[in-house]
Amino acid sequence: MSESAIVTDPGGPPDAARHRHRVLCSFVLLLLAALGVAAFSGSVGLSPSLLLGELPSTMDGYVWWQLRLPRLLAAVLIGAILAASGTAMQGLFRNPLADPTLLGIASGAGLAVSAWIVLLGGAGSAWGLYGQFVAGFLGALGITVLVFALGRRAQGGGTLTALLLTGLVLNTLASAAGGLLAFIANDEQLRQLSLWGMGTLAHSLWPGVVAALLVIPPTLILLLRSSHGLDLLQLGEFTAFGAGLDTARLRRGVIVATALGVGLSVALAGIIGFLGLLVPHTLRLWLGPGHRLLMPASMLGGALLLVVTDTLARTLASPAELPVGLLTSLVGGTYFLWLLLRRQIH
Amino acid sequence: MLRLKEAGLTSTPALRPISDRIVPGEMLAIVGPNGAGKSTLLAMLAGLRQAERGRVELDGRVLDEWSPSELATRRAIVAQQELPSFAWKVRDLVALGGEPSPRRLAGTLEAMQLTSLASRVVTRLSGGEAQRVMIARALCQLAASSEDSEWPRSGGMLLLDEPTSALDIGHQQRLMRLLLRCAHQDGLAIVCVLHDLNLAARYADRVWLLQAGERVAHGRAEEVLTTETITRIFGAELTTLSFSDGRGQALLLER
Repeated sequence: MSESAIVTDPGGPPDAARHRHRVLCSFVLLLLAALGVAAFSGSVGLSPSLLLGELPSTMDGYVWWQLRLPRLLAAVLIGAILAASGTAMQGLFRNPLADPTLLGIASGAGLAVSAWIVLLGGAGSAWGLYGQFVAGFLGALGITVLVFALGRRAQGGGTLTALLLTGLVLNTLASAAGGLLAFIANDEQLRQLSLWGMGTLAHSLWPGVVAALLVIPPTLILLLRSSHGLDLLQLGEFTAFGAGLDTARLRRGVIVATALGVGLSVALAGIIGFLGLLVPHTLRLWLGPGHRLLMPASMLGGALLLVVTDTLARTLASPAELPVGLLTSLVGGTYFLWLLLRRQIH
Repeated sequence: MLRLKEAGLTSTPALRPISDRIVPGEMLAIVGPNGAGKSTLLAMLAGLRQAERGRVELDGRVLDEWSPSELATRRAIVAQQELPSFAWKVRDLVALGGEPSPRRLAGTLEAMQLTSLASRVVTRLSGGEAQRVMIARALCQLAASSEDSEWPRSGGMLLLDEPTSALDIGHQQRLMRLLLRCAHQDGLAIVCVLHDLNLAARYADRVWLLQAGERVAHGRAEEVLTTETITRIFGAELTTLSFSDGRGQALLLER
């Protein structure tokens, strides 16, 4: 049978590698351009000479070093991890509608933030934002640990379905508990809570951004390294095992990375809706389902989208500011609807 | 060679101990009524479920001691009709798990009559085409360890769970002939869970008959699939007809 081989194949790996290279380079260029525009847009206009020269002691220097630079970094990191986690979750559950908050990360964080604001009176205190950040992160991690621990003991323990159902149940419980806290909250606390729920990068101060710089890049690397495993998993768990995949290890890696990365993003910026669903979904239509291209492209695409929408959020109603989560949901929802209708017509 | 030494499972679904060997070049069919434990047995042969008593050895080494990636170079799995939910192209799917060179990929596609479908999306294929794609992928994976050949070297093992369940008789015949050729010409060991007793009777070199987690009969098809046994195990009444070439027999249901 070996005689029947055809020597040239137009779609072979060398072409694929070139294609991958081209796509990723284009994304990097677009992201750099967006960052360039974003750096100089906002309620305070900055001049290019400022980027490196100006000292933080001047007004412009302060805006750049203390507000805008950390915010841009946060947008890049959070956009990248949300989109990458969305890609990983969709791949892991083999479902294009999975998103990074599928296993309850957002509601776990939300419950903890509600507890901090309502029960501990955190909003008014000097530690307000930091406490909120720490509470959100711990809440996200806590619920993930619970999902894992309970999912293992549930019927059919250890399978993806058991995990998904446990996540669903804990998600509901945490949302309900968070709702209960909102019910007993006073007006000021309620406003604080609803602002957090909308998602904003306005609170991206250095301590939070440094934490993000420490946590998110390793989780991105972990997710990049899961790409091949996620590809194999698309064959089904049994066949993927036959092809050499350690499914349990892949699942653990993806969920730990998502919990850490998304937990930190949610703690830092609240719930930025739709990004983790929209970016992988769109890029998959365009680039195909292979994760070795889709995963890095999602990271760059997510970063790009969040930098652009955050810049719009800062400038559209300047000097006031729109919550960026509202904007991503608005843009994302409209785009999804368009996609849906367009595909139906064709 | 896969060797079972009193290998069985104690936790549900349980499996009574089996001792036997599966050698390269043979086509083994696993048959039995619904819920007899066929897929469970296949999972144990694959190493997905570790034997809880006795042992399963591949080439003299206990299966649990092989890492998943080591095992992947020696045996591949085609699970029951499971297609990816995303729009993979045939070419990319076949390449999954084998990292084939363009030459080997093209060779596999050609051998499996998939060349014209290479750029098609798998979710839009017919059942027969999709099954060919999954088998091509498994063969490509096995061939990864044979350095200069497009085709798996002998000694590899292919495990299939009801590969014919969604196919019409034309596709069933082509598929079974292909598997036979892989076994007899290329020296692969083929283990196939089959629902259709006629396919097992006609194509398999050996048959294992399972009932309620126990292997109740094994041997050549005509020894195992007798009217008495089938009536006893499946509760079906039938007549058998012999083929003029002497290979296997046809099983016909009594009206």
